[in-house]
Amino acid sequence: MRSGRTWHDRHLGYLFVLPATLMLVAVLIFPAFLTLKFSVTPEGGSGWNLTLIHYQNAFRDPVLLQTFKNTFSFVAWSLVGHFVLGLGLAMALNQALPGQTFFRLVALIPWTIPDVVAGIIFRWFLNPVSGAMNPLIRTFIPSFPADFSWLSNPTLAFPSVIFANVWRGYPLVMVMLLAGLMAIPRELYEAAEVDGAGRLKQFFHVTLPGLSTIILIALALDMVWEFRRFALVLTMTGGGPGTLTEVLSTLVYKTYFQFFTFEYASAMAILMSVVLFILSLPYIILVGRER
Amino acid sequence: MRRKTTLWVNLAIVGIAVLLAAGPAAAQVKIRFQTWHWNEKPVFFALEAFQQEFNKANPGIEVVRDDSRYADKETVYIAQSQAKAAADIAHFLHRAIPLLAERGYLMDLTPFIEREGGQKFLAQWDQNALETCKYKGKIYCLNDYVNPLALLYNTQHFKEAGLDPNKPPTNPAELLDVAKKLTRAGRYGMGLIGSRQEGLFMRFNPFFWGAGAEYLTPDNKRSALDTPEALEGFRFYVELFTKHKVVPPGVIEQGAQEVRTQIALEKVSMEVGVIQAPLIYAAINPNMKVNEVMAAAAIPSGKKRVSTVEYGMRVISAFTKHPEEAWKVYKAWVSKDVQLRNFKIYGVMSARLDVKNSPEIANHKFAKIFAAQAPYGKIEPLIPEWPKIGDATITAVQEGFSGVKTPEQALKDLHIATNRALGSQ
Repeated sequence: MRSGRTWHDRHLGYLFVLPATLMLVAVLIFPAFLTLKFSVTPEGGSGWNLTLIHYQNAFRDPVLLQTFKNTFSFVAWSLVGHFVLGLGLAMALNQALPGQTFFRLVALIPWTIPDVVAGIIFRWFLNPVSGAMNPLIRTFIPSFPADFSWLSNPTLAFPSVIFANVWRGYPLVMVMLLAGLMAIPRELYEAAEVDGAGRLKQFFHVTLPGLSTIILIALALDMVWEFRRFALVLTMTGGGPGTLTEVLSTLVYKTYFQFFTFEYASAMAILMSVVLFILSLPYIILVGRER
Repeated sequence: MRRKTTLWVNLAIVGIAVLLAAGPAAAQVKIRFQTWHWNEKPVFFALEAFQQEFNKANPGIEVVRDDSRYADKETVYIAQSQAKAAADIAHFLHRAIPLLAERGYLMDLTPFIEREGGQKFLAQWDQNALETCKYKGKIYCLNDYVNPLALLYNTQHFKEAGLDPNKPPTNPAELLDVAKKLTRAGRYGMGLIGSRQEGLFMRFNPFFWGAGAEYLTPDNKRSALDTPEALEGFRFYVELFTKHKVVPPGVIEQGAQEVRTQIALEKVSMEVGVIQAPLIYAAINPNMKVNEVMAAAAIPSGKKRVSTVEYGMRVISAFTKHPEEAWKVYKAWVSKDVQLRNFKIYGVMSARLDVKNSPEIANHKFAKIFAAQAPYGKIEPLIPEWPKIGDATITAVQEGFSGVKTPEQALKDLHIATNRALGSQ
């Protein structure tokens, strides 16, 4: 068999992937290498005089440690919100109801809105002077304070940002779960019904096991994306009050472009990438197994 | 064969046409003039007038528009500089100069200035302003505007509250008293900035410095935030909102534009603002008779008379391919005629003494008050660590506003963060 293939046949494939590979090297590997090099370069230094001082500083930096905690919390609560809302809506939209396509499209709208726009919308919506949230609540609870502050409140600022992020990001999980739900054979539900299983039992014994792989993939992907969430937080709170809503991506941005400490920001970015890689391992393994 | 020949002939014709079309343009040097103002009226009119006038008078040079955004002007410039493709001329405020100079992104203007007459040439500028252009013995810019801040207040609200509009507050205690009287009927006495932006320092610093406080020790090596004066100034600013409630709710969400909007919509009676603010009020609320209703006064800063000041400047990129042409554009922009026209179009006060002391400014209702604040203008320490210290200051003020920490604790943590930023912990 092998003898029938020419050198040309055997190596043509490499030629085809060469442009994409070069592109990857130019836009991904080269910048990643530069960031890595920056992260081990002394501040303001150049060449190959390397140091690990920025990593040492990172582990001692209380703001960075607080930001890591904030980021994990932000990601965890966003994931819970995306999953609950995404699954609930996916199940509702999987029903054979009139206007099903229309509702599916409407449910996707938040996904089409850019982060910056979503951040500005929610910032205005929650503004205590000119926003719509307080008047809306007051139509149902007239005693609710007209000037209630959401984003200035240390207890509510973070949940407010998560709320906005849940609204903005649930459609991705919803779409993936909806696709998973549509792939579960009807016969399984019919068989469960014949066996006397109610709606709840069907959900736990048919729906959830049928969706398990999709749920894992959806949440793994969502986790990686939420870990990098940037513009929404920046436009809504800028990380405040204080550093209560600061997340890693906004801190790296600030450190690089506002504090001009490129080397330290690069070290932070590398640490963030390492954490992201570890977090995405389940997804990588799962996809590997599927293949 | 014939098809191939036709193809080559066509390609040759297109090539010659492209070369002919590109010929005259190649002789024209394009100077990218970067600012966040290209999309802002009325500043845009001043830029457009300059661009058209310069291009007409200098056929070999073309000033071309290059947009940045106020919030990420440094971000854009750094990214472009790292690629050695920054705009030839770019617009910044004084805080960015040491950082950009330290990184080698700015052209040293000393040789050009020497050619123009050296010290005699520089003597035309406000010398305090010029200091912000100097870094490690080199001069990187010539300021084109100086923006001292003053107290802007609504005289109508003063009358309604039984206050004399000709007697604005002159110290923090009076300011608080007046603000309390003005806080009535859904209106608040004072607008403050609490959001994460440079404008916060401009409003916070007069009260902080006015109390006799300083950010750093005179040698800029250590934090000086552990003094009673620092606590007094910090507490005054924060407690206007937390204790005295003379500031609208959601102060952490309020930036300069939000406060101006509140003034324009008459929800707030006073603010510490810039010279252009009255024009902005009028643009937001055309029904407000700004010139009649609003008045300006010195900031009632406290023991020390202090005003914050913002210095605006253009820089020439260290990577420009056309330094001579860029300097020609630069010199034209900071010329007397252009600077005076800028004042007339958008109310900005030039750092050129012949414009700053001109009859146009001396006779202007608001400009003369703002001009009188310039000698009391003070700026934050011009050190590369400032952005980090400044950010920590905003964090502390926000923590104070939101009650996350007491003013004492917030200031104590700021003191530690400042020393950490200076590497002196």
